[in-house]
Amino acid sequence: MTLSARTTCPFCLNGCELEVRFNYQFRMEYPADGKINQGRLCARGNSASIVIDHPRRLAYPLLDGKEITWEAALGKIRGWLSEVRPEEIGIVYSRGMSEQEIGMVQTWAESFGGANLVCGYIEPDNFLGEELAGARRATLEDLAQAKRMLIVGDAFGKSPVAAKHIVEARYRDRASRLVVIDSIKTRLAGFAHLFIWVRPGTEPWALGAIAGLIDRSLKGIDVERFARVCGVESGQFQEAAKIVSGSEPGVVISALCLGHSTQPELHSLLSQLVALKAGKPFAGFGEARLPEGRLPFGRFREAVAQGRIRLVFWFGGLHPYSYPEIFPEMKIVTYRVATSIFRPDEPLPGLVLPVPSELEKDSTGFSLWGEVRRQPVAKPVSGSRFVEQIVRELGGKAEGGMWKAEGGGRKVEEVVAALAAAPEPSDSSGDGFLLLGEKRAIGIGGFFETEQEISIHPDDAARVGVREADGVVVKSPVGERVFQVHVTPTVPAGVVAVGVNCHANRALFPIATLEPSGRAVIPPVKVQVWRKG
Amino acid sequence: MAKRIVLRLDYCIGCRSCEAACRSRFKGEARVRFAEVSETALVPLPCRHCEEPLCAAACPFEVIRRDAGTGIVYQSSFHCVGCRSCILACPFGVLDKELFRRMAQKCNLCSDRPEGPRCVATCPTGALQFIEESELKELRTGVRVAARSPNWRRV
Repeated sequence: MTLSARTTCPFCLNGCELEVRFNYQFRMEYPADGKINQGRLCARGNSASIVIDHPRRLAYPLLDGKEITWEAALGKIRGWLSEVRPEEIGIVYSRGMSEQEIGMVQTWAESFGGANLVCGYIEPDNFLGEELAGARRATLEDLAQAKRMLIVGDAFGKSPVAAKHIVEARYRDRASRLVVIDSIKTRLAGFAHLFIWVRPGTEPWALGAIAGLIDRSLKGIDVERFARVCGVESGQFQEAAKIVSGSEPGVVISALCLGHSTQPELHSLLSQLVALKAGKPFAGFGEARLPEGRLPFGRFREAVAQGRIRLVFWFGGLHPYSYPEIFPEMKIVTYRVATSIFRPDEPLPGLVLPVPSELEKDSTGFSLWGEVRRQPVAKPVSGSRFVEQIVRELGGKAEGGMWKAEGGGRKVEEVVAALAAAPEPSDSSGDGFLLLGEKRAIGIGGFFETEQEISIHPDDAARVGVREADGVVVKSPVGERVFQVHVTPTVPAGVVAVGVNCHANRALFPIATLEPSGRAVIPPVKVQVWRKG
Repeated sequence: MAKRIVLRLDYCIGCRSCEAACRSRFKGEARVRFAEVSETALVPLPCRHCEEPLCAAACPFEVIRRDAGTGIVYQSSFHCVGCRSCILACPFGVLDKELFRRMAQKCNLCSDRPEGPRCVATCPTGALQFIEESELKELRTGVRVAARSPNWRRV
């Protein structure tokens, strides 16, 4: 029996169309008439069929790592709900949820007062949702017609499928120019006409200098000082400004990555400032973007650490940040309820409820290029329940629209002033190494393959006394992990880079709170590296 | 005429989607291998499906054969004993040294899929193409492109 169903890839914001066929096992099919991707998929999109029937899928509720029935689990939650006061309940929604589910969770949170409603998706992608007044968002046509492109960060890693447009635009015309700004020499840099290799975390200053060179009337931008901050010649900025401000159609793309930027808010806003001043549209390549909750994540952490929150509901699909190694404050919480599509590696305290993955949902969602429709390609895993069902059984109402934070776009002066006030990233030289996160396009087993390779500069490799494929131990303030060395000059001296597709690698980065907004950010971190054994 | 997989080197971004597609089809090992050309380029090495395949000549049990009609060099995995002779014989190193389920992994151009190989269908930038052998001659390649287009990316 062959069954096939077509849906939209749930793993990032591109909205690629894919098809899954069932013929004794789930297999991928590539519909060539897809509007965005024409059947092309990245390594993660290709793992959709693996997610559906993966042996690690969770099929029963877990209480402290032990299987229990749904009735017992719901009874437990009802008991906890009666024990705590409404203001002691924290409701977090993370990625892996549909628009309808978020709306329902938000309505349910309102019935408790709604004060502790938190968006738990704390990756930099959410900062790409920041808006600068006047900046225009790019459409797919803009990307296809672009001749002048400025890309900050690794766009190939963030969105391999959009790479098609970038590569085609680069080769289409002799006059087309591609400028790349990054602190690691990525594969994208190999395609660039001008690659500005800045110091880690200084991308916003480079963008500020370019914006200042395009519009000389901008106050508070000292190009020479910014060039010193970035560790590059100011002539490179002049060249970049000349390329971007050309009259041909173009686009400015920002691809933020976890563990790569200390100021993601500025990173996104200044990319938009350059786009605005150059008269080009802006595109933010992210994986998932969720509407902000009422309480910023940084403030939520403080509330948990102070013991003001005793019951936490963590709704989400793939990697809930409730894992104790990433979010140590969660240990203080008395009662915790998380939803997951996979069985955790090690038993988690509290309840873990199985939910269907996005591939098994009938819903609508967002994409970079508009709204997308998702159809189920398989039946939900037996034993799992939809978030809507769980919330309804706990007394939530079915209706409810999306609740969106107010406040229009930021003003240009405000952004320039914020850049002037932002602390400059400290020099990466000295004792230890700076650990950067890198969004590698690879991920063959999708989310399940551990990324064990760490990139290190040849001089540093000699200093540590390691050669290619040797083992090293990396110790950050929050974790320790063994990696295999990849010696490459694509990372600067004093810096080591790891892939952050893998959950275990993310656990090396501590979460910081960004002031004054109170949002959470995952910046690069100082680590100790030594030879294993 | 037989069709072949061709790689446009300057379009490859090294995302390994082709490997992922291959792996999701075979639920295990991928049959596409990779070569690192420079720090910023990683390119796939698909099977060439040679006219006189050395892997087939090296196979002691005639498991690897060449289909005269389509030119596809295929392997009947039921009889493979995992002796690795084909892996040693391949002059391009496209066969993985690691055995999977005690068998060598040999590309068969996805002959179970009428539309063509999955790695080609999934390639995000269109670097991998599945074209007729006659079209190969018309392709602009190598030095000629470098001379003509200043946009040529040297990997």
